[in-house]
Amino acid sequence: MSIAELPSTPTTPPLFERISASKKTEVVRELSTLLGARYVLHIPYDLMLYEYDASIDRSTPDIVVLPASTEEVAAIVKIASRNNIPVVPRGAGTGLSGGAIPIYGGIMIVFARMNRILEIDYTNLRAVVQPGLVNLHLSNALNPQGFYYVPDPSSQRSCTIGGNVGENAGGPHTLLYGVTTNHVLGVEIVTPEGDIVQIGGWTYDTPGYDLTGLLIGSEGTLCIVTKIIVRIVHLAEAVKTMVAVFDTMDDASNTVSEIIATGVIPAAIEMMDQMILQAVEADTHAGYPMDAAAVLLMETEGLREVVAEQTDKIVNICNKHQARAVRIAVNETERQLFWSGRKNAFGAVGRISPEFYVQDGVVPRTRLPYVLRRIGEICDGYGLRVGNVFHAGDGNLHPLILFDSQIPGEVERVRKAGHDILAVCAEVGGTITGEHGVGIEKQEEMALIFSEVDLRVMQQVREAWNPHQLFNPGKLFPMPGRCADMKQL
Amino acid sequence: MTEIESFTTTLQQYSPAIRTIRDPDELRNYAVDGVLPRFAIIPETVEQVSQAVALANQQGLTLITRGGGSRLNLGGIPERFDASLETTKLTRLLEHEAPDLTCHVEAGITLAELQAKLATKGQWLALDPPDAQQATIGGILSSNASGPKRLRYGTARDMVIGLRVVQASGEIARSGGRVVKNVAGYDLNKLYIGSLGTLGIIVEANFKLQPFPTNERTLILTFSNAEDAMATVIALLGSLLTPTAIELIDSNAASDMTDFFGLTLPTNGYTLAVNFEGSTSSIDRQIDETRLLARKNDALLSDDLLGKAQDEFWNIVREHTQGTITCKAVVLVSKMANYLETIKQICQKHEIEAAIVAHAGNGILYIELRPVDATFRLVEAIKELRLHAQEARGSMVVERCPFDLKRRINVWGEPDQNFFLMQRIKQQFDSKGTFVKGRFVGGL
Repeated sequence: MSIAELPSTPTTPPLFERISASKKTEVVRELSTLLGARYVLHIPYDLMLYEYDASIDRSTPDIVVLPASTEEVAAIVKIASRNNIPVVPRGAGTGLSGGAIPIYGGIMIVFARMNRILEIDYTNLRAVVQPGLVNLHLSNALNPQGFYYVPDPSSQRSCTIGGNVGENAGGPHTLLYGVTTNHVLGVEIVTPEGDIVQIGGWTYDTPGYDLTGLLIGSEGTLCIVTKIIVRIVHLAEAVKTMVAVFDTMDDASNTVSEIIATGVIPAAIEMMDQMILQAVEADTHAGYPMDAAAVLLMETEGLREVVAEQTDKIVNICNKHQARAVRIAVNETERQLFWSGRKNAFGAVGRISPEFYVQDGVVPRTRLPYVLRRIGEICDGYGLRVGNVFHAGDGNLHPLILFDSQIPGEVERVRKAGHDILAVCAEVGGTITGEHGVGIEKQEEMALIFSEVDLRVMQQVREAWNPHQLFNPGKLFPMPGRCADMKQL
Repeated sequence: MTEIESFTTTLQQYSPAIRTIRDPDELRNYAVDGVLPRFAIIPETVEQVSQAVALANQQGLTLITRGGGSRLNLGGIPERFDASLETTKLTRLLEHEAPDLTCHVEAGITLAELQAKLATKGQWLALDPPDAQQATIGGILSSNASGPKRLRYGTARDMVIGLRVVQASGEIARSGGRVVKNVAGYDLNKLYIGSLGTLGIIVEANFKLQPFPTNERTLILTFSNAEDAMATVIALLGSLLTPTAIELIDSNAASDMTDFFGLTLPTNGYTLAVNFEGSTSSIDRQIDETRLLARKNDALLSDDLLGKAQDEFWNIVREHTQGTITCKAVVLVSKMANYLETIKQICQKHEIEAAIVAHAGNGILYIELRPVDATFRLVEAIKELRLHAQEARGSMVVERCPFDLKRRINVWGEPDQNFFLMQRIKQQFDSKGTFVKGRFVGGL
């Protein structure tokens, strides 16, 4: 649910009614015949596992299916379509915006059994994978030959490539190399009619509309992806990872701006503020100073010569902006330690707060100092604590607002703060989501950056391909009102 | 009052300043594949574009959007063509946020003019298609034009972060934004890029920019055959090295360049041009290692280009991708040597000649065919060239050709099985066919 939404929103009839018990029995029987009974889950105990993702929303599917092939997915969709039951695809459920939450119940397709690497071609630098493949497993398979798959969301140890395609996932290393859309050349999809269609391919510039580009990041609202053709790249010759410590947030932000402005584009620039540092240090013992105002974690990679030059330039810029210290990882172990602090940051915050809420705005990099100050002021104003850990090089903010839903009124204040933060991002020319997606969470905030016309034009695409919202209904666009069962946080 | 008079009168009521052309002589400049529009509109502002399109839509008139006109020949023969809408007055650089490496520009500016403005802050838009002096940003985006440096920088889809597009209704819709990372809503930027004006008129664009490279050098290698040249390309692509462009030039193309441009390239075998950017030390090392790789694959001789000679060389290479008849074939890199051999055989069989320049690292070949009047032999050859490209998991588009040939072939090839999805999109975006049909894939 939108964080900005007031609990007293007027209700409108839901897009889909929950299916009746008798209908469910009938559909379960049909699906069991298709897949085998063990791959069709339908009792509450089994379904509970699938009622959430990494966002704050919950809703239980009526049936969960685990297909093993594209043909099975197509057959499932045909059954769903015939019975007018909504379908929601789910990878690993690590999404942060509610993309995999089945608002109206229905059938959830889980890709745990479609997790294979189908083909790797080192000459043409392509791999073909199934959507349920865990992101990191692809790079693990490629590493021995000296290659890897670039997009690396922080959840890469569990998130799936199908989910990454759905959300157009990013990650720390997308600053230099781009996000999922820059690394996928083609997909196989199943349409709401249950047709299997090939989009894009192995080569570039397929004639016709760039449907691959359109589908990536469509959050499961246009089609279901059943196969993905990705680009693979050579591992870098050299990598240098640095940590720079600052006594003020402004110094750290200005360092980021200057690095970008000088045209040095490192592979990653991540920022963590004091609150996050304290949480991370207590958790990971990566050696981050607990009294610093901010730390920048930076990585440059490529040829030895390039890395050496970039490292010098970066260190100089850090020093110019009063870095208290700049440390360069001496070996791979230390490098991994630096990164584990960053990649476990969300988890570490769990140690200092019962709950937290993460936002995903993006701002022009030159506006970072201003926006970070405003985030602090906004949260102060609501009496909330906030920490920042984010992809500073892209201007992609991840403020973590700490809260405790047991305290009366706290959730309400968190919602308002989140909304106000996104409003500031929009006001400086930024956007409301850089990599987490809109999902359920930011539906209302779409109106902060897009006009009615903009949104209507986007919805034409859904109208063209998924007109009855059989796939992932009720997501991505502002809703006229919301159904009653989704009201409480 | 005729349809056109009623249109122009009404349009001038809305925007008195808007220029329209009805003089048949002047209109000749606006012909597309020999088809003359009934009139041309030259708006000076985005709002005027919007008004003109809204009115055309209401009155059931059809439009082709035109930038500099350098790639108007791309695509099938237009069905009904009432008006040409020229965007070349929309030339403002609205914002260049140099410290953020982004810019916001109107779509009628030429690439050369934009690059000159960005250069004052040491930056550039990393797109290097031919005809930068004439080609506009809008035209480049809607035809998805690219150049040799796409190997490193990618294409328009990797650089556009936002667009403003006039819809068939005349409404102006924004997609994306001005920040470098954005997943809010559908990525319509991708849909508009390369859609050849069939879904809307791109009037403004936001880009990610690149800093100028500190240095640049080009290594020229020659090989007696395609296998050796392509073995070198594949070795380079699978190595640690980071070439910016790898261009393959066959002997016919090389002798064209030598004849017309006074460039000296060996005119037998294959020439490979490998461009590197970066610091002197990294370029030196990469050139050395490339020479080693090439020697292992029996390179005959090597030379390198710097400064002005280098700029000139790449200009000539780029321009050579647009002959009177040019086919753009895309195949897997591993199949390229084989495909080059197939081209030779097909040409022999049909008694025609091919001159080829290829972005070898991307598997993209620009095949210039001649003589241009051998229409019937060309029709057969094109069919075969396409079939073989498709067998190599690729495609082939006839990017430029005379009308007489065009009416006998399908320049895009038969649409794929996914075409119905494209049709549904066109139907949603432009159900009345305000943006002229017939030119894009499957007649969209």
